[in-house]
Amino acid sequence: MRAGGARLGAFVDRQLSVLFVAPAFVVLLIILVGPFGYMMWTAFTDLSFALPGHDGNFVGFANFRRLMHDSFFWDSFFLTLRFVVAAVSIEFLLGFAVALLIYHQVTRRRLVLTALLVPMMLAPVAVGLIWKLLLQGDFGMLTYYLRAAGLLGTDQAVLSDAPLVFPAIIAIDVWEWTPFVVLVLLAGLMSLPREPFEAAVMDGANRYQVFRDVTLPLLRPIVALVVLLRSIDAFKEFDKVFILTGGGPGTTTELLSIYTYRMNFKDWDLGYGAACAFMVYLVVLILCAVFHKAVFWQEGRVSAPAPEPVAVTA
Amino acid sequence: MRKHQTSTQVRYRRWGTAGGLALAMTLGASQAGAWNLEDAAAPYRGATIRTIGESLPPLEALAKLKGKFEKMTGITVEVEMYEHSEAVNKVMLDLNSRRGRYDFIIQPHRELGRFVENGHLVSIKKFMDDPKLRDPSFQPEKVLYPRLWKEISWYKGKMYGFPFTALNMFTWYRKDLLANPVEKAGFRARYGYDLGPPQTLDQYRDLAEWFTRPGKGFYGTAIQGKRHEALWYEWLNFLYAYGGDMMKTASGSECGPIIVNSPEAIAATEYYKGLMKFSPPDTLNYFWDDVMALMQQGKVFELIMWDDATYAVAVDRNVSKVVGKMGFAPTPLGPAKKRVGQVEGWTYLIPKYSRNQEAAFLFIQWMMAFDQQLEQHLNGGASARPDVYADSRVQALPYSKAAMESNEAAIAKPTIPASPQLTDILVRELSSYLAGSKSAKAALDTAAVEMHDLLGDCAPLEYPVP
Amino acid sequence: MSRAWRAAMLAALLAVLVVALTPYVWIILTSFKSRLDALADHPVWLFTPTFAHYPKVFIDKQYLPLVWNSALVASSSTVLSLVVGAPAAYVFARNDFAGKEDLFFFFLTTRMAPPISVVVPMFLLFTAVGLTDRPAAVIIAHTSFNLSLVVWMMRGFFADIPREIDEAALMDGHGRLGAFARVLLPLAAPGLAATAILCFILSWNEFLYAFILVAFESRTLTVGIPGLVTPHGTLWGQVAAVAVVATLPIVIFTMAVQRHLVRGLTFGAVKG
Repeated sequence: MRAGGARLGAFVDRQLSVLFVAPAFVVLLIILVGPFGYMMWTAFTDLSFALPGHDGNFVGFANFRRLMHDSFFWDSFFLTLRFVVAAVSIEFLLGFAVALLIYHQVTRRRLVLTALLVPMMLAPVAVGLIWKLLLQGDFGMLTYYLRAAGLLGTDQAVLSDAPLVFPAIIAIDVWEWTPFVVLVLLAGLMSLPREPFEAAVMDGANRYQVFRDVTLPLLRPIVALVVLLRSIDAFKEFDKVFILTGGGPGTTTELLSIYTYRMNFKDWDLGYGAACAFMVYLVVLILCAVFHKAVFWQEGRVSAPAPEPVAVTA
Repeated sequence: MRKHQTSTQVRYRRWGTAGGLALAMTLGASQAGAWNLEDAAAPYRGATIRTIGESLPPLEALAKLKGKFEKMTGITVEVEMYEHSEAVNKVMLDLNSRRGRYDFIIQPHRELGRFVENGHLVSIKKFMDDPKLRDPSFQPEKVLYPRLWKEISWYKGKMYGFPFTALNMFTWYRKDLLANPVEKAGFRARYGYDLGPPQTLDQYRDLAEWFTRPGKGFYGTAIQGKRHEALWYEWLNFLYAYGGDMMKTASGSECGPIIVNSPEAIAATEYYKGLMKFSPPDTLNYFWDDVMALMQQGKVFELIMWDDATYAVAVDRNVSKVVGKMGFAPTPLGPAKKRVGQVEGWTYLIPKYSRNQEAAFLFIQWMMAFDQQLEQHLNGGASARPDVYADSRVQALPYSKAAMESNEAAIAKPTIPASPQLTDILVRELSSYLAGSKSAKAALDTAAVEMHDLLGDCAPLEYPVP
Repeated sequence: MSRAWRAAMLAALLAVLVVALTPYVWIILTSFKSRLDALADHPVWLFTPTFAHYPKVFIDKQYLPLVWNSALVASSSTVLSLVVGAPAAYVFARNDFAGKEDLFFFFLTTRMAPPISVVVPMFLLFTAVGLTDRPAAVIIAHTSFNLSLVVWMMRGFFADIPREIDEAALMDGHGRLGAFARVLLPLAAPGLAATAILCFILSWNEFLYAFILVAFESRTLTVGIPGLVTPHGTLWGQVAAVAVVATLPIVIFTMAVQRHLVRGLTFGAVKG
């Protein structure tokens, strides 16, 4: 079979590989590095569409100094961090549980999965509107049933109540993206090789031990993949929260993307907005780098390396 | 006429005189340049002009009217309709990239300072002074509400356009409930005066309290408490009624001392929050859209709302359950004891990068004529021409009187380049206050300091924050 | 014990499905409700449907062309991303060279740039080259985030195919290019399909770039949705109608191709 991790050498010859990689590299360079580089440069200027005379003159680190003292930015930053940690953890745990459930208990897996995938297929803008309709204080369907169940006071409405609204957006994000976690983890489960499991069972391991010592390690790369992908995307969350709350009430749901949106599209303070974006990008970059190194991307895709032999009970 | 001439001679002379006169008039007319649209537009026949605005009845009315202009002039007019903030964003991007996609634009007057000071606009005076383009029968200084025109479409003494809409806010209330004898008796017993439309803020509050019946799903009022500029607009009514203001200036295009944290302002803000207990529970999630729906559904007694939304509540039976039950009055009097209103409007403007400026001007001028203004107003618009309000059909609309009074008392808002940022600061602080995270004084002080930091020396703090 | 356990598990699964589907079902129902039913105090499950909202939005408000715009943008950016990305992924899968993982990580990082901030420079740059207002602008913008997804996912799929296959293809007389095109690609088809599906969905649903970069005539369905939230009353019936039409194609599409999606993601190509 495949030699995992061995040197591959230049399997595809030089010219062809350049031909193959170059277009992708060039495209990305132009599209993303172009505007992205321009944005980076803007972070060091005073560019503003609103204030006259702010035509993009170089101002050094002025924007970043301002950023350091901007309590609204840091409040937003930590709020977003809490959002990401809470949402992704719940999505992961719930998604894993559901994936296991489907894997073990359901024969018509794909049918169930397809139904389950609906939330993630909807445009986030549509998701925002759907939940706005459900949680509306006067005629929202969910509001009505929550009140009927006594979970919500008749003088309360989820989107106007400061303590409730932040958990609400986490819950909605969980609703939208857990199916994605289920999809990837279920696919992962379905693609695991049989041999380690057979070996473990033969060695007398019980279900819990099999899960802990065989399933989890084998799934580790996939788990890392899905957590990483979700974390990156959760950090950028914008569409549905903006439609639902606009960042309010007050600043209770003002995620970083909403804060940056106000900087860029309300204040048109593009220099400062770029500095904010730079910070966000930096944080996400560091997180991902850490993740990437921690879960070494194996050659041979997201399958496991040859599993360690399961403890043999004599 | 000479005596003793034969009748035939007299007749010919008459004809000659008449014919001569007619000939002289025609010759004289073309020589004196009697202006008409077709001739003025002749050089631009075949051009296409494009504009952008908010997708609401006034713009929809314009889209219906433009066909007439197109037929007369051979100039095609394309209209892009967007939601409010999208319409603003698209224009900002267009102007700053100097792309020239829009030949004229329709924008909230608050953006005027930004556009002017960044050099994006052409003064409309250039075209008004051009006899080839200017219709002599259009005299804006005579036919528009002068203060509204100055605040909506002028900046620092120069004219840049004309008001597309001149909007205002005033009181809406359910007059049918006021006629109910049971209500009358109960109200009198409790408050000691007769039930009637809210004329003062105290009455407004009492009425809101009286009509709040959560068990029946009916509330006295509803505030637009969402973190959205609707909040700022609504709050301004109370701020003005208490005698407060954002800055002490004579006009919106000036920068002046900041008074947003004055004692009057704080009192007004606390009054505003006091209305929350007479509002539905979701009130912090509402903007103008939601409170209008509440009134249409008959769930609320009184509101302070926009005149361009009145049609959908007071007249249109397809969407409103309270047609025929609505009363309108200017904003109630506050401690300052003077009638107040807001200057708010969208204005026609011509960007510097427009490639069809003259054609655009002709269209704008044509739209500002009485006939078009009346037609637009009757279809949900908000004209800035008093003669439109005086028309009998407009007078027949239930809200016209309140609108006129509010227009006459309208107070200007800032149009300086930083003005949308000022709004944003206030929205954030007011929203935090309503959500309970800080006191009114703290919120307004924070806002004042931030406004001062943004504007600099031209806006000192009248009420310094320690 | 096992019986009860299984029953409990299935009940839990049913609950999950109900939670997942009910909100969407609700908006579909709302699109057929009259305004009075939609805004009623008690949730209305049984009602006389009205079909008026759909023609009002799609014909009166001329939303029909937006369906085509969405389809055009989504399919074009998907195809572009695959054509450009798959070969690159293949090289990552097969070759080893200095800085490979770093370069690969670079492809990953392009996904991290917050669109809010990149969109304005993108707009300015596109305007400078005269591309704004054309669908091409959005297609390219969407490719910018789909490309990284393609490279990332396809690398795994290609690596999944044993190198012996490549070698066999060469021995059969295919050139390296031919080996890739005629042998590897078909084998990686499930992976390609899965990736294509995800790219299509992401592009169809995207809002920000589609809104900023494109002209009125070329706007997509997703961009058209907020346009109905007006100060004259959110027309929930019409909003629901647009939301349904904006999302239903994707839902149906995914259900139709879910077999490939799952198969692709389970790397079913060469699983024993």
